Amino acid sequence: MHKYLKQFVHKSPWLYRINAGSCNGCDVELATTALIPRYDVERLGCKYCGSPRHADIVLISGPLTTRVKERVLRVYEEIPHPKVTVAVGICPISGGVFRDSYSIEGPMDRYIPIDVNVPGCPPRPQAIMEGILKACEIWKKQIMEVA
Amino acid sequence: MLPFLKILVRNIIKGPATEAFPFGDTFTPKRLRGRAELNPERCLACGICSHVCAGGAIAMTESADGRGMEFRLWHNTCTFCGLCEHYCPANAITMTNDWHLSHEQSEKYTCCEVQFVEYPVCKRCGKRMLPHLHQRLAKGLVGAVNTAEIMQICPDCRRLTSAMQQIKSKTCFSTDRSNS
Ligand code: SF4
Ligand code: SF4
Ligand code: SF4
Repeated sequence: MHKYLKQFVHKSPWLYRINAGSCNGCDVELATTALIPRYDVERLGCKYCGSPRHADIVLISGPLTTRVKERVLRVYEEIPHPKVTVAVGICPISGGVFRDSYSIEGPMDRYIPIDVNVPGCPPRPQAIMEGILKACEIWKKQIMEVA
Repeated sequence: MLPFLKILVRNIIKGPATEAFPFGDTFTPKRLRGRAELNPERCLACGICSHVCAGGAIAMTESADGRGMEFRLWHNTCTFCGLCEHYCPANAITMTNDWHLSHEQSEKYTCCEVQFVEYPVCKRCGKRMLPHLHQRLAKGLVGAVNTAEIMQICPDCRRLTSAMQQIKSKTCFSTDRSNS
């Protein structure tokens, strides 16, 4: 990456959300962090984007159900490198309340490398923001390392 | 036109709705259920908490030398439901309102509440035994009830006496969070 670009790129990572079979609890909290003015994740320079090809930080919720697994992995592959993955909620981290169910393929780190975990069922918006902040730092480091 | 002006003035007076967090403080309700915490002094090693745990977060293993029991609560599968706190007979588990639990992947399996509950020693033979509720009572840890009296009366009278004592001493421990 060009040196000049490097100075700016790390300041505004774009977020992308993957629902891997979540109960929607975590997704509501994720939407809350961005969409209601009280939390406003865009102050961190982050912005939600609609396409995996534009994403820098991926927020995954849900325990990775059998039905959705292939699609999640396919979407994940489409995200350009470098990327930072955040597991939101206990579902992707450990399977949570769905652990050991017949239809669950997770935990997520069996298939997708995770960088930051935000436990909670669901985590409160502030906790998610804290996780995103950690992810931003990792993202910055990764950008600096890219040749 | 007029309603709009009203809203405008109200918003100007109120200032921005956005919280300062993560650059400043945020509001944390006192009753928020966050990281669970165990007080090993109170725990009876009864296992009710791990039995009722919705997320299967609590593991209790007896140490090899029989000195006590290791209590391990993995925050990464805890749903913050508070069932453990509600059902714990000794009020040993409490849900704190600490929600700063996000961590990097390297800490995934160490994000635990680990405590060691030491078994008391038998006065006669020196063997280790499970902690009894009345031993916890004798330490004055579960309410401020008069244990000596309570041990000599039938369960019905006991219930009444301890209820009366708790009302009098106002140290009734309740898991009802609606008034805290
Ligand atoms: S962690 Fe809890 S709230 Fe989030 S998706 Fe799983 S079950 Fe739903
Ligand atoms: S924390 Fe409470 S419920 Fe759990 S083993 Fe100890 S006394 Fe029993
Ligand atoms: S709060 Fe619920 S999930 Fe967490 S340890 Fe207690 S019973 Fe288990």
